[in-house]
Amino acid sequence: MNDLAIKELLYKMADDQLILGHRNSEWTGFGPLLEEDIAFSSMAQDKVGQSYALYTILHSLGEQEPDTVAFTRNAEQFHNSIFTELPNGEYDFSLIRHFLYDTAEIMRFDMLTESSFQPLAELAVKVRAELRYHTLHANTWVKQLGSATEESVARLQKSLEHALPYALGMFEESPYEKELIETGVFAGEKKLQEKWLVKISAIINETRLQLPDLSTLQPVSGGRIGKHSEHLQPLLNEMSEVFRIDPTAEW
Amino acid sequence: MNSLDPRVNRLPSVGQPGQAEPKAPLDQFGTFEVFVQPKEGKPFQHEGAVHAPNLEMAFVLAKEAFTRRFQCVSLYVADTRHVFVSPMTEGNITVFDFIHDTPEQPGAKLSYEIFMLSKRGKQHVHVGSVMARTPNEAMSEAKRELQTDKVVYNIWAIRTDDIRFTKPEEQELWMTLPEKKFRDASNYKGGDKLKEFLERSQS
Repeated sequence: MNDLAIKELLYKMADDQLILGHRNSEWTGFGPLLEEDIAFSSMAQDKVGQSYALYTILHSLGEQEPDTVAFTRNAEQFHNSIFTELPNGEYDFSLIRHFLYDTAEIMRFDMLTESSFQPLAELAVKVRAELRYHTLHANTWVKQLGSATEESVARLQKSLEHALPYALGMFEESPYEKELIETGVFAGEKKLQEKWLVKISAIINETRLQLPDLSTLQPVSGGRIGKHSEHLQPLLNEMSEVFRIDPTAEW
Repeated sequence: MNSLDPRVNRLPSVGQPGQAEPKAPLDQFGTFEVFVQPKEGKPFQHEGAVHAPNLEMAFVLAKEAFTRRFQCVSLYVADTRHVFVSPMTEGNITVFDFIHDTPEQPGAKLSYEIFMLSKRGKQHVHVGSVMARTPNEAMSEAKRELQTDKVVYNIWAIRTDDIRFTKPEEQELWMTLPEKKFRDASNYKGGDKLKEFLERSQS
């Protein structure tokens, strides 16, 4: 099996988790209520932990140490989708991103429990268990605020429309897509997007939100090949600040 | 003033004339009681409360507020207004002395979960369930069916149907919790790091 194909898959997944984990952690101390602040921060920490587990598999395939990989690359060396690096904005956007992203993630890891690449299949069982809470959290909030007041519905709707083109960028295909599918490593982005659409539609149908026709939207992609928005490099600068001062620092 | 912080929005306007008005209610969420089962085979115990707009949101928020560290295999929540509380005692006086038989009443019996406090300063612990028509009857049924030699200071009764339990497919929410040692304060080894820092800065 081609190591490059597996590495490309692992990098994009790990980078998604790390970047969104870091973004979501920016809400720590600012959440809309104490209980939510704790929950959102915990899930951000889970995501960083999941990225660490994926970087560890990459290390076993000959890549550098997880800390080196996480803290020393520049923006163009990251493979996360642009969706994950966008600034938090207001809580409605963060919540909608959490909903759209985590729905895709739980399905991705669910598919990967069947992967022919054993280390990933084993990890996927654990990650899926953590994501079960993340999606329960996201779905409950979206159902709650998507049917609560005029303001909450309008704000979520606006965020949903803003987020969707970026969300579609999550499914940007790998140059090794065919090989990954044929070797049973991963069933592919197209299949994932189909499953994702069914799930998000089902949740949105339980609310007063309207899902736009996705075929009319232009996906914002490029992240998988290192083409990012202006928002990623400042995030990386901040995230790696301590590491750059003292690479041996423990905290 | 318009702010995202409700405390700012509650500030009274200053220097404005006006009529006497009823005090506006607080815009806070209600509370829900949280019960946690730390290990398989151990009883559920009361851990505290969360603020939430409804029972389902309370379950979601309770999970991280109360079970993000240590061990947990299951949790459940109930609206604080659905928790019925017996009289309170102390010393060697058991609360059962204050609980009397309830006269037979018409109507169907419903299941109630019973929690007892047998150490002051500790939590209420789940001891079993009883069938009753009213909360008062649930207390007297608890006395009849669940009383032991131990002194009990207080009893809670919650209708089983009023509880949001963990669903079987949600049991895996805590699968990786034992691995998250980094969330335990002892895992930071703060003392060791401080000592090392001081030694380094003195040398």
